[in-house]
Amino acid sequence: MNNFWTVVGFTIRNKVKGKAFTITTLIIALVISIGINLPYIIEQFDKGDKVTNVGYIQSQSEEAAGGTATGDSLKAYYEQQENPSIVMVPFEDEGDAAANEAQLKQAIDEGRIKGYLEFGEMSDSGFPQMTYKSEKLMEFGMTESMQGALVQIRQANVLQDAGLTAEQMAQLNAPIEIGTVQIYTGDGSGSGNAGRTPEEQGVNMGVIYVMIIFLFMAIMTSGNMIASEITAEKSSRVMEILITSVSPLKQMFGKIFGMFVVVIVQVAFYVAVILLNVSMPHNKGALGNLDIDLSLIDPLLLVYALLFFLTGFFLFATLYAAIGSIVSRTEDLGQAVMPLTFVSLAGFYIAIFSISAPDSMLVKVTSYIPVFSPFVMLLRLGLTDVPMWQTLLSFGILLVSIYGAVYVSAKIYRTGVLMYGKRPSWKEIRKAMKAYKI
Amino acid sequence: MNPLKVENVVKQYADKTAVNGISLEVSEGEIYGLLGANGAGKTTTMRMVLGLIYPDEGRILYNGKPYSNEQLSLLGYLPEERGLYPKVKVSDQIIYLSQLRGMSRADADRNLKHWLERFEVPEYYNKKVEELSKGNQQKIQFIAAVNHKPRIVVMDEAFSGLDPVNVELLKSTVKELRDAGSSILFSTHRMEHVEELCRNITILHRSNTVLKGSLKEIKKQFPRERVILGTDNEVSGLERVAGVTGVTRTEHGYEIAVSFEAAGADILRLAMEQATVNRFEIKEPTLNEIFIRTVGDRHE
Repeated sequence: MNNFWTVVGFTIRNKVKGKAFTITTLIIALVISIGINLPYIIEQFDKGDKVTNVGYIQSQSEEAAGGTATGDSLKAYYEQQENPSIVMVPFEDEGDAAANEAQLKQAIDEGRIKGYLEFGEMSDSGFPQMTYKSEKLMEFGMTESMQGALVQIRQANVLQDAGLTAEQMAQLNAPIEIGTVQIYTGDGSGSGNAGRTPEEQGVNMGVIYVMIIFLFMAIMTSGNMIASEITAEKSSRVMEILITSVSPLKQMFGKIFGMFVVVIVQVAFYVAVILLNVSMPHNKGALGNLDIDLSLIDPLLLVYALLFFLTGFFLFATLYAAIGSIVSRTEDLGQAVMPLTFVSLAGFYIAIFSISAPDSMLVKVTSYIPVFSPFVMLLRLGLTDVPMWQTLLSFGILLVSIYGAVYVSAKIYRTGVLMYGKRPSWKEIRKAMKAYKI
Repeated sequence: MNPLKVENVVKQYADKTAVNGISLEVSEGEIYGLLGANGAGKTTTMRMVLGLIYPDEGRILYNGKPYSNEQLSLLGYLPEERGLYPKVKVSDQIIYLSQLRGMSRADADRNLKHWLERFEVPEYYNKKVEELSKGNQQKIQFIAAVNHKPRIVVMDEAFSGLDPVNVELLKSTVKELRDAGSSILFSTHRMEHVEELCRNITILHRSNTVLKGSLKEIKKQFPRERVILGTDNEVSGLERVAGVTGVTRTEHGYEIAVSFEAAGADILRLAMEQATVNRFEIKEPTLNEIFIRTVGDRHE
C-alpha cells in the first residue's frame, strides 16, 4: 500500500510542478474570468445606447394625416412604458418630401436620431405603409418592436370602438398560464414523492449540465495525460525499472488516482475562480437576474452525480491507461486514443442533446451501455422518474465493466509496456496477455 | 544457499528460441559474467532474472524462493539503454525509485548524496536528466540501480558510453558492491573487464550455453599456445623448433605460436645459445581469444 501512495505522490508532484500544467490552468482560469465578466465589460462600452431615437414627420397636411397619427400613437405608446427602448422624435413638416428627407438625414448625421420612419399609402392594416430607414443593416429588432407596438395600439383602438368596458379589456389582455410539476408515479429513484416544481427542474437541469461537462472535461484532460505519461515512461524505458520495482497494478492505479487528484484540484480551482468572479460586487446583479436558488438542488441527485462521476472517470481512465501502454511512441498516441475520445464525445453529446427529450429510446438504451451510462443515466435520473431497479442495473453494469476494464487494462499494461517497435497486433497482445500474471 | 539461481531456463519468442536451457548460480559477493555476441540471449536472460518476462521452462530462485513481488526490493537493475525520466530532477526520481523499492525517503536522499559525492558530481542533485551528457546520465542510471542497496544487481552493459576515467570509477564501485556482499549479474562486450571482475562466467552463443565455469578453469582448458620472447640479438632457426607454427618479429623480440606448451623449453634453450634473453613468457590465452575462438568458430 505504501508504494501506491508513493506513485500517487510522484504523479501529482510531477504534474503540478510542470510548467505546461501551470500555464494551461492559469490560461483557462483567465478565460473563465473574462467570460464571466464579459456582460459587465460589454455593458461599460454600451452605456447610453439602450434607447434608440426614431424620427418621423409630424405633418399637418391632409394626405399625411394617417402617417402622423401612427407616429404620434407610437410616441404615446413608448412614452407610457417604464423603460422604453425607442423614443419617437417628431420633426416639423418642411413642405416637400425631399426637404423632409434631407432634414431627417441631417438629424441622423448629427446623432439626434438613429433612423426614421417613412409613411406611404394607407393599407388594409389600418396603418399606412411604413419604411424604417437607418444607416445600419438588418434592423429587425427595431421593426419588430414597432410592429408589436402597433399591433397593441390597433387592438386597443378596435376594442375601444367595440365599446368594451375596462374590465373586459383587462380580461382579454390577461395572460393564461399552465404550470408544470414533475411527479413520481411508482417506485422511483428520486428522493421523495412531492414532485418537482419548474424551479427545481431548472436547477436540476443546471446540476446535470455542470456535472456532465465536468465529467467530460475530467475524462478528456486526465485521460490524455494518463495515456501520454505511460507512453512517455515506455519510450524513455523508465518503465523497465518501474516494473522491476513495484507491481504493475499498483503502479497503474497510483497513476490514475494521482491524476484524479490533479484533475479534482484543477476543477476545484476553476470553480473557485468562477465563484470569486461571480461574487464580485459588479457581477452581483447578473447572478440575481438568473434567479438561481441553490437550495432547490435535490441532494440525492448530487449523490448520484458523484457516483456516476467517479465510476465514469475510473472506467475511462483505465481504458486510457491501457491504450497508453500499447503505444510505444508519443507520436502514435493521438491516433491510438482517437476511438476512445470519440466514445466519450458520443456519450457527452447524447446526454447534452437529449436534455429536452430525456425519455427517448436512444437515452434509455444508452443509459445501460457502460461507456455512455455515466453521462446518460445521470440525465435520466435528473429529469425523469427512473425506476430504482433500472438505476441499480445501470450502475451494476458499470461496476462490472469497470472490474473487467481494470483486469484487461492491467494485463495490457503489464504486457504492453514491454512491447516496443511497431504497434502490436491483437493476436500478439492476446498471446502475451496470457503469459503474465498481474 | 545462493542468492540467485537460474535453472534450465528456456524462453521462446514465436518461432525463435531466445534462450535455450541456461543455468547459473551467483553466490554472495560475486560478480558473474554473462557473455555473448549481440543477440545471443544475454538481455533476455537478464530480463527473466528481473521478472520482466517469464521463462517458458525452468525456474529462477531468489534466496531459494520463486519470483514474487516480495523479491522486487532485493533487485537492482542497470539497463543497457537509458531508462530515466528525462524531464524530472535527478534527486526526485532517484528518491522515488528507491522509495518504490521500500527505502525511506530520508535514507534514499542520504544514499543519493553519498553516491553523487562518490562520482564527484554533487551538483547534479538538482539537475534534470536531459541536461546531462550521456556518460553522466549513465552514472545517474547506475545510482538508480544501486541506491536502495539491492542484494542482487543486474547490470547490462554497465560501462558503455563512458570515458576511461569514468570506467575506472564505476569499476571500482562495482567491486565495492561485490565486497559488500551483493550478487551481481554482469554483461559486457569488454573482455578485459570480465577478466578483472568476474569469478565465473557463461558464454552464450545463439541462445545456447557454449562455455560455463570459473574463469581459471576455463583458461586451463585452453592450451597455452603463445610464447613471448625478448632478446638483445637476433635468434635464427626458431621456425625449425618442433611444435612451432609461426614466428612474428616484434619491436623487442619475437612472438611465437606453438602447437604444444613443451615447445617453449626448446625455444628458450635455442634463444639462450644465441643471445641474452630479457623476457620469456608462455602466455595463457586471453578471454578475448577464448571468446573469439568459441563464438567465432561456430559463426559459419
